[in-house]
Amino acid sequence: MATQAATGAGQDHSVEKKIQQFRELFADAPEIGKKALENALHELRSQTSDLPPAIESAGRVGARLGKVSELTIIVPLAPGGAKRLRAFLRLLRGNLSQGANKVGTLHTMRFVFFDNDTRLLFATAYDGDWDTYIDDFVAKIPDYLDVIDSAWDGWPGIRSPGAKDYLVKHQITAEGWYVAYPDLTVAEILRLQRIGKAVDEFLDKVG
Amino acid sequence: MAILEQTRTPDRVAEKIKKVQELYADAPEVGRVALKNGLEALKHELAAATGRESAGRIGARQGKVSELTAIVPLATGGGKRIRGLLDALEGNFRGADLVGTLHDMRFVLLDNDTKLLFCTTYDGEWDAYIDDFVTKIPNSMDILFCNCEGWPGIHSPKVKDYIVNTQHTADAWYVASPNLTVAETRRLEKVGAAVDELLDKIG
Repeated sequence: MATQAATGAGQDHSVEKKIQQFRELFADAPEIGKKALENALHELRSQTSDLPPAIESAGRVGARLGKVSELTIIVPLAPGGAKRLRAFLRLLRGNLSQGANKVGTLHTMRFVFFDNDTRLLFATAYDGDWDTYIDDFVAKIPDYLDVIDSAWDGWPGIRSPGAKDYLVKHQITAEGWYVAYPDLTVAEILRLQRIGKAVDEFLDKVG
Repeated sequence: MAILEQTRTPDRVAEKIKKVQELYADAPEVGRVALKNGLEALKHELAAATGRESAGRIGARQGKVSELTAIVPLATGGGKRIRGLLDALEGNFRGADLVGTLHDMRFVLLDNDTKLLFCTTYDGEWDAYIDDFVTKIPNSMDILFCNCEGWPGIHSPKVKDYIVNTQHTADAWYVASPNLTVAETRRLEKVGAAVDELLDKIG
């Protein structure tokens, strides 16, 4: 108990310090921001004192919350790459589920063109560690990946020893990362869906 | 409708394959080889594609789950403030739970802190989702986005136009469980825990 109380006091202290940090940070913010900060300080107080699980590293690069990690890659597109990739994705009607389901650890994935088709954002939410995840891509859908990534400027090919370095070089770790259910992997969600279905069937029979 | 789709499928797939091959005639070597090797898998993919839908005013949706991807220029000093703020929060947002329709959210600083990439995965329609942010966490929104160039304020009638103007619709959008909303996932978590408890008691 004594230890807990001591930790509690330490927390209060660090919360006040953080609140102070917020105020300093926003001293030269636009009026809208300063006003919102004052309104929200109460909220922030409880957010910082509840000590939610902190963001960790997903490994070589990227952020992770609980079991779920983020990958955010921005690449320059090779000449003609945007046109080819856009047309390819259009033929698939923007649906990559057949290939992506095979990876098994992928929650979501998006491809977004920007800066007049000179750059591409590739962002995913996935389970666990960066290296394992990339290995999953390499092992399970290598060709699929090369068909897409050959639009990227300087892409060495997924089987190249330089592939991971290329990805690391273009990945940007998120400063903030939120996941609604950080303890659920893709596999666990699929399992829960089966359980949910079985329970419904069971209740139907009982009822 | 589904049957109609299917009867038309073989021809359409062949046609699409031909288009992809033409498209890749001048692709880098790595891409051409991969296309050749992956052609069989691609046929399945092309046959199964149900297509991404619109999330409403802007953005893509698969089943019940939508994407929002915005790239916003930062105001002077905005990058520093966002970095400091997120650092103090240890990159975590308990407040986002309040929105209730948000699967995931990321903040990424780009191009020497001159731009903010804001990506979310959420349930349903764009308009309803933005309304959720406005009613449930208006202060958090203003604290974060006041750092962006020209942010009108979350309560401004112009806020939706501002977001639309900075948002880019994804050309491809994949969701592992497209039929699960955040609420349904939470419910399944409870069902799973209850079943485990039940089995423990029986066993």
